[in-house]
Amino acid sequence: MKSTPLHTLALAATLLIPALMTAQVDRTKAPKPGPAPEVHLGEHKSFLLPNGMRAIIVENHKLPIVSAQVRFDIPPVMEGNIAGYQELVGELLTSGTARHTKEQFDEQVDGLGAQLSASKDGVYAMSLKKNFPQVMDLVYEVVASATFPPAEFEKARTRMLSEVQSRASDPDQIADVVGQSLTFTKGHPYGEVVTEATLKNVTRKEVEQYYRHFFQPKQGYLVLVGDITPQEGEAMANHYFGLWQGADAPAVANAQGQLEVKDLGPIEPGMATPPLPGNVRVAFVDRPGSAQSVIKVLFPVQLKPNDPMALQAQVLNTILGGGVFNARLMQNLREDKGYTYGAYSSLNADRWCGSFSAGCSVRNAVTDSAAAELLKEIRGMRTSPVSAEELALAKSYMAGSFARSLEDPRTVARFALNTFLNNLPEDYYETYLKRLDAVSAADVQQAAMRFLHPDSCTVLVVGDKAGAEKGLEALSGNHRVLAYDANGDIVRPDPSEGATPAPAGTTVQTVLDAYIKAIGGKAAVDKVMDLKKEYTTSVQGMAATLTEYNKAPDKYAMEMKVGNMLVQQITYNGNRAKLKGMMGEKDLEDMELDEVKRNAFAFPELHYPEMGQTAQLVGMVDLNGAKAFRVNVKSVQGGQYDDYYDVKTGLKLRRKESQSQDGGGYVQVITEYSDYQPEGGVLFPRTLHQSGGMDMTLKATAISVNKGISPAVFTVE
Amino acid sequence: MATITAVAQTREIQYTEFDLPNGLHVILHEDHSTPIVAVGVMYHVGSKDEARDRRGFAHFFEHLLFEGSDNIGRGEYSKYVEKAGGVLNANTTGDRTYYYEVLPSNQLDLGLWLESERMMHAKVETKGIETQREVVKEERRQRYENQPYGSILPEVLKRAYTMHPYQWPTIGYMEDLNAANEKDYKNFYKTFYVPNNAVLVLAGDFAPKQAKADLTKYFGPIKKGAAVPRNKVVEPPMKGEVRDVVYDKIQLPAVVEAYRIPALGTPDFYAVDMLNRLLSNGNSSRLVKNVKDAEQKAVYVGSFSLPFEDPGLAIAFAVANMGVSPDSLEASMDKQFARVRDEAVPEAELTKLKVQIETEHAMENSKVAGIANNLANAYTFLGGTAKVNTEVEHYMAVTPADIQRVARKYFVPGNRVVLHYLPENQKK
Repeated sequence: MKSTPLHTLALAATLLIPALMTAQVDRTKAPKPGPAPEVHLGEHKSFLLPNGMRAIIVENHKLPIVSAQVRFDIPPVMEGNIAGYQELVGELLTSGTARHTKEQFDEQVDGLGAQLSASKDGVYAMSLKKNFPQVMDLVYEVVASATFPPAEFEKARTRMLSEVQSRASDPDQIADVVGQSLTFTKGHPYGEVVTEATLKNVTRKEVEQYYRHFFQPKQGYLVLVGDITPQEGEAMANHYFGLWQGADAPAVANAQGQLEVKDLGPIEPGMATPPLPGNVRVAFVDRPGSAQSVIKVLFPVQLKPNDPMALQAQVLNTILGGGVFNARLMQNLREDKGYTYGAYSSLNADRWCGSFSAGCSVRNAVTDSAAAELLKEIRGMRTSPVSAEELALAKSYMAGSFARSLEDPRTVARFALNTFLNNLPEDYYETYLKRLDAVSAADVQQAAMRFLHPDSCTVLVVGDKAGAEKGLEALSGNHRVLAYDANGDIVRPDPSEGATPAPAGTTVQTVLDAYIKAIGGKAAVDKVMDLKKEYTTSVQGMAATLTEYNKAPDKYAMEMKVGNMLVQQITYNGNRAKLKGMMGEKDLEDMELDEVKRNAFAFPELHYPEMGQTAQLVGMVDLNGAKAFRVNVKSVQGGQYDDYYDVKTGLKLRRKESQSQDGGGYVQVITEYSDYQPEGGVLFPRTLHQSGGMDMTLKATAISVNKGISPAVFTVE
Repeated sequence: MATITAVAQTREIQYTEFDLPNGLHVILHEDHSTPIVAVGVMYHVGSKDEARDRRGFAHFFEHLLFEGSDNIGRGEYSKYVEKAGGVLNANTTGDRTYYYEVLPSNQLDLGLWLESERMMHAKVETKGIETQREVVKEERRQRYENQPYGSILPEVLKRAYTMHPYQWPTIGYMEDLNAANEKDYKNFYKTFYVPNNAVLVLAGDFAPKQAKADLTKYFGPIKKGAAVPRNKVVEPPMKGEVRDVVYDKIQLPAVVEAYRIPALGTPDFYAVDMLNRLLSNGNSSRLVKNVKDAEQKAVYVGSFSLPFEDPGLAIAFAVANMGVSPDSLEASMDKQFARVRDEAVPEAELTKLKVQIETEHAMENSKVAGIANNLANAYTFLGGTAKVNTEVEHYMAVTPADIQRVARKYFVPGNRVVLHYLPENQKK
């Protein structure tokens, strides 16, 4: 090695200088990163136990902690009029076992310093390694021998009733509950609402039978993570769960072909993706005096975790509002406008039904502006590709999150469990970073086109109606703001609203009799055996026809066509009803079936008792300058409508009703009847004007009485 | 003995620490198990350092310190971090303000640069000030005004303190934030955001030697500030129970009991904290087991101690079950407080609490972000970084007699605020 005194001196100088040099760092630019570190997925071990349960073990000795998770793969099940029982499963699992009362069990858990919690699909526990064997005793006890003591059931249900009451005062909880029901509809397990009424129907039998039926080894997973070797874990898994058999509570098909569990009833998965609302539906839940409006934009999404575009969807959501501070919603609504503390979106992939939600809490005065900006940003994801900078930031952030998540050894176990539950490719997580890196701006836009529906969504606002409703109607597809209550039901107007008392001697029966007499008398009406009414109208500017068929005693059909295209068809054979539309077909049930049954009678005024309906005279009102009697009709199923009869002529002038809507909720529809003309000895209105859900005027082109109708018209496949 | 087993299963947090010439304290904790690094800076300034007509300023200032610096433009703080694959945030309490990033380990210098810029020459523009003022107002509405029971802390604090600045919540009051002006920003920054009032912590995957050289490059040139003024207000003892009714948008009434307690790190604090755990840590704890479960008076009950640098509060909070009056709920809670005063805690129950603390202590150091925060906290408030490992010993040393003594000293009616929360529609 060549060395001169000069070199040596120079070297010495550089060794002395660093303290000075450090002050010279270039502060004007961000420092360059070093070479990217490699990210290592931890190892896991997975095997089947003799009883069919799958064990997953992750060894990590960094902390003296071990966790156990028992997870059952249970599809979402409709709860119906006992909504709430599944939530009680979780609470009651730890409220008594074959070996311990609740009090003893709680003492055990706390005495071990453990965390232990249960839910409707399993149990989770965590403790120091030295206490873990005893914690596993408790986990096993819960899974294999929960007893659901009646006294504990009553206590838990009372607390839940209190919580349901309390929910009505919490704007975020209201937004969650109503949001779920408007996104998924109340006909989907994710959209059901637990109310005081449904909770009162729940008995401990249902809670227990759910557990007995669904907690089965063949759909079970046992996940052990932490300060435990695979050998220890395997021995433990076998010791506790290897031979466990689950309870004997099978599902058997009932007379209607539904699967049913004894003492629990039908267990219908009901997992079809709910329809989109069709346009922008604005729903408002009034919470007078609110300091802020909670706003959500919501719609269901067909997105499963194993969808080939699932990762693109997550990049899309990250850019729009998924957690990064530089997301569009945060930058626009917080950093630019100062409307909110935070605005976020989520695009949730789910094995049964995915969903989208975007929202924020804002001061009352900017509610409409904030909602408009949310919609604008969602639309913007579809209309143009994201910038290279946004894409790079989102991808880096997601890669960073992935690496950070691996700090927790439970992440590796979660990945393994997800791979099984969601049927992911085996190398899904190993290839995650590579696949993420490959996502392009075009992919993101394609995902936006597929998964975002800014023109077919619900805009939900929970807030002070007086101070925050202004301007929202402009966002709505039908220029209306629909009022909902905290349980996700449309707010129905008070049936006596605006009515004055009817003159003495007038009863509901005299009003109905006068109407029948006015249209031709009971003898003439009774002779109508079949009836076909053809109308013309227009739908969104296009000429359309509507035909209605009635056949005594109980058949009904309706079809609506635009040109030759069938838009909607309802067929009711006296037993079942089917709705066909452009979105597919479905059997009508509950309230919807109730509505169709009512239509089966050409003159329902004669049939209230046999339909299980009761009519009540509300009073007299002014209707377009004429005096009218208002009659409220209720059905046992909970539906109701108001009919208005002309005091002078006896004829029916109007019907006002709340119709159930696709996508959940109800809308108030008003139908005006006019231009009565005779056909077959009976007067029929030739002009019907409907406003509410969809505005339209129907003009009768032909009304045929007793001309015969083919039975095929009423056939339901 | 519990003490011995506790040590056996808890792994010590290893660290080194030193001061830069400008007074910045530095703590380094090395952990290579995941290729990430946490960078945290804790400034010893919180809402108790605010002027009486600038309530909420410390927290508002925290928002403003994300706006930029001489070398970082408006909005770029978060962009640098997120583009690097990291996360960042900050929070403010009555006593301190904490900023942090968690970054991939090759981006450590970025974190050092960002935090040193914040300490050296932060800059805010009018647009930023006006926007963040609105953002903080929305934060206040969202967290305190629009949440059922959300006003509990402000309502308790203003009755529990007469002199000390703890009488206002960290979020402050809107009229004071509206009044804040440029002079306030400059003074606050110059007084409190100085290296001699801060601790820098690095935790995670880095080489200490290199890191030390790098952090010296970035933080070394920052000038030392003047001695930091401390608010010396001593709150006089309560002159008896303070009792009030608050009406809120709620369905179920609630009861709040706030007892004045000694400061964080004082010998009595550990016994007080143990007492709170005895009351509400886990389903077998006394309030949960009796008030919620056996007597069914509450749907929720909890108690916790505010870990304040100056004498703080222990707050018990319960939401009534259906049809239960606040009086009856309060009586049920008070029975448990009386029991702690009247009877020594059985050894078995104390052992349970110690096992719980031992387990929590092992779990709380599971992530580098948490370790960084714990180290900064131990240095700033517990009397030394070493407390991160030894704090647990203070808990293990608590005896039944200690608990009974603090129960009789602090958990007495004359030393508390009691609030009944009632639904608005019951207002007469």
